[in-house]
Amino acid sequence: MSMKPENILEVRDLKVKFPVTGGLLLRKVAEVKAVDGVDLELKRGETLGLVGESGCGKSTIGKAVINILKFSSPDVDITGEVWVRADEGEIDFLKLSRHEMRKHRGFIQMIFQDPYSSLNARLTVGQIIEEPMLYHTDLSKSQRLDRVAWLLEKVGLQAEQSKRYPHEFSGGQRQRIGIARALATNPKIIVADEPVSALDVSIQAQVINLLQELQGEFDLSILFVAHDLSVVEHISSRIAVMYLGNIVELGPGKDIYHNPIHPYSRALLSAVPVPNPKKKKKDRVILTGDVPTPMNKPSGCGFRTRCPIARAECAQAAPPLEAKSEGHFAACPYVTAGEAIS
Amino acid sequence: MAEDTEKTIKPAVSTSIFKKRWKKFKTLKRGYYSFLTIVALYLLSFILPLFIGRDALIVSYNGDLHFPIFKYYSAEFFGQDIQGEANYRLLKKQYQEEGKGNWVLMPLYPYGPNENLLNELEGNPPHPPSLEHWAGTDDRGRDVFARLAYGFNIGLSFSIIVTFFAYFMGVSIGATLGFFGGKVDFFGLRLIEIWSTLPFLYVIIIISSIIQPNFILLVFILMLFGWIGISYYIRGEFYREKARDYVSAGVSMGAKNKTLIFKHILPNSLTPVISYAPFAIVANIFSLVSLDFLGFGLPPPTPSWGQLMQQGLSNIENWWLIATPLLALFLTLLSITFIGEAIREAFDPKVYSRLR
Repeated sequence: MSMKPENILEVRDLKVKFPVTGGLLLRKVAEVKAVDGVDLELKRGETLGLVGESGCGKSTIGKAVINILKFSSPDVDITGEVWVRADEGEIDFLKLSRHEMRKHRGFIQMIFQDPYSSLNARLTVGQIIEEPMLYHTDLSKSQRLDRVAWLLEKVGLQAEQSKRYPHEFSGGQRQRIGIARALATNPKIIVADEPVSALDVSIQAQVINLLQELQGEFDLSILFVAHDLSVVEHISSRIAVMYLGNIVELGPGKDIYHNPIHPYSRALLSAVPVPNPKKKKKDRVILTGDVPTPMNKPSGCGFRTRCPIARAECAQAAPPLEAKSEGHFAACPYVTAGEAIS
Repeated sequence: MAEDTEKTIKPAVSTSIFKKRWKKFKTLKRGYYSFLTIVALYLLSFILPLFIGRDALIVSYNGDLHFPIFKYYSAEFFGQDIQGEANYRLLKKQYQEEGKGNWVLMPLYPYGPNENLLNELEGNPPHPPSLEHWAGTDDRGRDVFARLAYGFNIGLSFSIIVTFFAYFMGVSIGATLGFFGGKVDFFGLRLIEIWSTLPFLYVIIIISSIIQPNFILLVFILMLFGWIGISYYIRGEFYREKARDYVSAGVSMGAKNKTLIFKHILPNSLTPVISYAPFAIVANIFSLVSLDFLGFGLPPPTPSWGQLMQQGLSNIENWWLIATPLLALFLTLLSITFIGEAIREAFDPKVYSRLR
């Protein structure tokens, strides 16, 4: 099955399971289904927001797409396909070995969540930004330094700052350095893993705006992972809402933000604070209970244990994503667009 | 905008983390001065024959200059009436009495560490401290001060070499376990646990009963038992650093394992090595002294503090045989411990400090 022409990235039936080991010989005693069958499409030039509460698997998807999960947890069980339309043609990243993957790394880069741990404190900013070019370009030393200076100015820093060490920068500046490093190889896909959640709100806006400017200039397609809906709504053309390893709703940003369909999305959105004390929120949906552990997922629909409209059938089979309106999908057969949940 | 103001305020010189820590280390006077003292003394101890020794620096004999410190001369050569190598102290007296214009320039403290002084001293050894022999002589009539001074170089060199090799081994093994993790780590740790149960002292005693240990063999044995502690720390550091985002960033930009280890993880994992090394050096000096004391250390007549203490134990009424090596050991270990303490403090990310 080949990729749709408008897509640059297609994730098909991605499942990521982390084994839980125990006992004297480290046998597998259980598994955490961090991602449980996810399909995603990233169109060329768009920003796809991926939201959900912590532990729902959104960061895992990002790391699976960029294929670095096997490094940090060698025992992880990944199935599915991650198709990427690279310059060389369509490639399934998950089928590549780490060695084969290496030559495609320049095409897809990541911006990390924590600007304090994502930069090696022993290297200067120049060395940090230069490093990807060492692996993916054959630029000479002076060309690399020129590009470092150029990138630093692109992300709103000064070229002279390349001689400094990361600890001499603020959080926002460090995140700009992280962005410059991600852009060093001229990638076409950027996986942004909660790039602003560690920053002050005022700095968040600056970094988001920077990302949007760069997206146009560098022709980037961004998979934007976040838990903050207001941030995602601002930057994303489409939003996917995740709950417990599944996508429960997928649609255009404005649609999801103003007319959520899935009961979970509704609860999630009603939790976004309104910055106006005089305006009372009307239909605030308050969920009861906690998120079940992904080690022991409920049968059928993962959300049924907390769902206000759950019924007996929900325990039977996991509901598929179905179109509720044009380009707007939700994984619940019992709701329709615009209908209030009582 | 907050960031704009930050951008305009620039420190004059950009400082790496190491430079920052070195600056902080310099403010910790006790450790810094101990560091300077120990380094100076240690460097001086490599040119010790210039200050302490039996060989003359320069002999002027019949108008020619000779440098016995570099070359062997027989007693006959200088017109001295004894067998074998010249005795330059007696030669100096002889020339002064002759008054022919020949002269001898001796080191400041003209006694060697392995030199038997029974011919020149009255009475039976050990001789008590005197103006000529600042710490007396031992039970074979050898000058204790000279032996202590030469023992300092041997002890500290031994300890630094052992620490270097043991840490090299420990860091390599710990890094391998920590970086590759999984089964490598699991079985590697079990092997380390088995190895660490081997009793170090018994192994030494068994080996020494078969062959006389020399410097290299002792370094090797102490290295084999000295790497375990640091390998645990490095393994832990590698586990921690490996999970941090800058390593993931390295993987996602396509760095090879070699680059990840040597460029990214290792430089960030060396804090325990640097902060434990002074204490390891202390421990290894102490190990050598203990082994010498028990008679399983370096072969005689190597000048050694432990061997002096052992003499002190068998000649308990000659206090200088116990007091001087113990004092030397105490001062050395104390200063190195001060250094270690200051290094630990300098590497402590907390701003406040109790140590001054």
